[in-house]
Amino acid sequence: MDKVADFRNDLAVALRIALLRIRGQMQYRASFWMQIVGNFFVNIAEVLVTWSLFQHFDNLGGWSLEEVILLHGLAMVTFSLGDTLSNGVQSVPQMIREGTFDRNLVRPMSVYLQSVVSEVSARHFGHLTQGVLLLGIGLATAPIEWSVGRIAYLPVIILSGTAFFTALFTVEAIFAFWTVNGVEAVNAFTYGGSDLGQYPLHIFRRGLRLIFLWLVPIGFMTYYPALYLLDRADPLGLPRAASFVAPLAALLFCLVIRFGWRAALRRYTSTGS
Amino acid sequence: MTTQIQARDLSKRFERHTRRAGMVGAMRGLFDRASETVTAVDAVSFDVARGEIVGYIGPNGAGKSTTIKMLTGVLTPSSGEATVAGFTPWSERRKLAQQIGVVFGQRTQLWWDLPLIESLELLQHVYRVPEQRFRENFTMAAELLELGSFLNTPVRQLSLGQRMRGDLAAALLHDPQVLYLDEPTIGLDLVAKTNIREFLAHLNREAGVTILLTTHDLADIERLCKRIIVIDHGHIVHDGDLARLRDKIATERTMTVDFDDPPTLDDQLETRGMRLLDQTGQRVRVAFERSRLTAPDVLTALTEYGSIRDMSIEEPSIESIIQHIYKA
Amino acid sequence: MRLYLELARTSFQQQFAYRAATLAGLFTNSIFGVMIASIFIAFYRSQGNDTVASWTPDQTVTLIWINQSLLMTVFIWGWWEVTRSIQSGAIVSELLKPFDYFSYWLSRDLGRAVAHFLLRGIPTFTVGAIFFDLLRPAGVAAAFGFLGSVTLAVMISFCLRFLSNLAGFWVLDHRGVSMMYVAIFNFFSGMLAPLDFLPDTVQTIARFLPFQAVLMVPNEIYLGRMPIWQGLGVQAIWIVLLTLLVKRILRAGEQKLVVQGG
Repeated sequence: MDKVADFRNDLAVALRIALLRIRGQMQYRASFWMQIVGNFFVNIAEVLVTWSLFQHFDNLGGWSLEEVILLHGLAMVTFSLGDTLSNGVQSVPQMIREGTFDRNLVRPMSVYLQSVVSEVSARHFGHLTQGVLLLGIGLATAPIEWSVGRIAYLPVIILSGTAFFTALFTVEAIFAFWTVNGVEAVNAFTYGGSDLGQYPLHIFRRGLRLIFLWLVPIGFMTYYPALYLLDRADPLGLPRAASFVAPLAALLFCLVIRFGWRAALRRYTSTGS
Repeated sequence: MTTQIQARDLSKRFERHTRRAGMVGAMRGLFDRASETVTAVDAVSFDVARGEIVGYIGPNGAGKSTTIKMLTGVLTPSSGEATVAGFTPWSERRKLAQQIGVVFGQRTQLWWDLPLIESLELLQHVYRVPEQRFRENFTMAAELLELGSFLNTPVRQLSLGQRMRGDLAAALLHDPQVLYLDEPTIGLDLVAKTNIREFLAHLNREAGVTILLTTHDLADIERLCKRIIVIDHGHIVHDGDLARLRDKIATERTMTVDFDDPPTLDDQLETRGMRLLDQTGQRVRVAFERSRLTAPDVLTALTEYGSIRDMSIEEPSIESIIQHIYKA
Repeated sequence: MRLYLELARTSFQQQFAYRAATLAGLFTNSIFGVMIASIFIAFYRSQGNDTVASWTPDQTVTLIWINQSLLMTVFIWGWWEVTRSIQSGAIVSELLKPFDYFSYWLSRDLGRAVAHFLLRGIPTFTVGAIFFDLLRPAGVAAAFGFLGSVTLAVMISFCLRFLSNLAGFWVLDHRGVSMMYVAIFNFFSGMLAPLDFLPDTVQTIARFLPFQAVLMVPNEIYLGRMPIWQGLGVQAIWIVLLTLLVKRILRAGEQKLVVQGG
């Protein structure tokens, strides 16, 4: 019970820290907005290329532009929310290098939550805005038979995906406790994963599909839920329930990452680097 | 007297990768790597009683910060035991954190982009300090450390001295029993240094806070520490007061002798265990090992070169001893 | 000249120390390569694997893999040494050193690029060749032309990076600049798709920008879609123009420092 109370307190403190820091940053208005705008543009190239390709090609694995845009939106919204929430955790490698990580260990508060709020930035709001726009366009233009179930499931998809990406970004920090040099490999899963989640899963090769379904379950976060929204059959032959495992897969993934984070902390306290 | 910090045979060993030299070495490094074990802290034991201020000194890389990291719970030792304020630091880190304050001179514990006052108020919530207690501690710290003029300034805009005062205040809001200070006066001007020392002395006297501090500054030690622990190559080489440190480490004394007439000295001095430092007219200065010769021995030996009018003996200065330790 | 060769050599050697980073990078580039190539293969399938926008499926897939392989060699983002020294003020003393500041960094970058070509480029392309039917160079001349073109591409990319670094003289936060640069580069360089797939107006704009000289030109030479000398010529012109621009802006930046008194 103690632990639950501790966690609730930590969460409240973390929220307080985050809000204060965002308010602090908004005082530097020019820089604040430039980062958001810059972030809006950084991923737009990919979307423009997708659109251009659809001017030359009929479809992508049987999916129309509107349907692919819906996937783009889902992946981008959840990715950028996770990116925002894990911003501080992503700076853990840098904190370790600079020796400032220690302070998270000498305070009576969850080390993870302290890391989360050690770097708070609003810059991912640009990416988020773009995701929301795409998702909006996708939802409005793709052939969706709206029903209560579909409307109710949409927030679940977003929440699961956000939790999933937050955990996924933590992997990078976890790796950094072992090697500072190899961290780039994690990009294949974070950025690679979010890129892959923007396209219909069945167009990829078996190897990639297995990785991004069963190891890093991005496929269960965007593609399968989208199959339900679009009322499409799964060419890969998984049961229809696959469209609804998003929350469960996200939870499992978070638990695995939590385990990894703890191991990483144990390693840090035994090597100090 | 209750023991506040207890370390028993505390040791820490690290694995280090080593890099080979040259082009061929660099290519080989792609496939296999050499590593070696480094013992940073080797079977260190000491007790610190409640209310003591102990200076923990030694050259860079001697194992100072590794020891402190083990005593704050940041590092788990390879072997040995420790208790701080009744807790085993590395297995009860969170409970211990509530009882200790930590200040690293070069790295702030405050939030870079927030005004000092907001950082302090956030820490109130982190440590769950009751409002009443927080107000009292805050008022005291603000007054003694004169925080008033920069409470609303973002931490990144503070001068080093102001930031240090802010960090000290931040480390004290939750009434810690033990305070760890790593170079608390580094980079500060003389006035700021003095203020911080006075504050620490006050805190120790009034609140009975146990303080373990590392420093390069002799004045910190002279003003604050009745006891110092010297660590070198991971071993404790001294644990006691400053005077005893001198006895132990500085074994060479200097004798200055005034002869009636300028004497003619020969190399007999050397064979008798003395070292001529300089001679100007009637005045001669020689150095000798206290373990080999006594002052009367030296005096007797010198009378052979002429009649002596006056003499004095100098012990090495504490400053030179500290310098000696840090150069080692 | 000895100095610059020595700089290049040390910088070349340094890259061999990062074993984990090399393997990690190879892995990441390969995953992206497989992904992007798969997307194109799926697109082409919808068109009966015909030639689209003058590109055959094999050519497009080869381009995707060449891009992934060259990514680290031409090194598009993540180099902010100059901005950092502008921000720290160290640039003042660095500019006074008895060598050319621009050539100093250029020689280091060329050394780095050779190492990355060997450590990252060739292995990534090999991975691509294992999983996909990649095309060989259009001929012996095209192969050598490609190597020359990659060398020039590194120099162009370096100039562009150097220029965006120099923005540090006027802009405080380089993250905004960095994001913009990546967005522009990705769109106009042919990084994500051959330029011919983009709308005509965009293509026209892209042809007058230096970004396509970093990736599209080496690709077109490799695939024999462009006369070798034409490609190399375009690149050479860009190097001259960009170098002049760099020197001018560097001088303007220096002036700004002098006016402000450092």
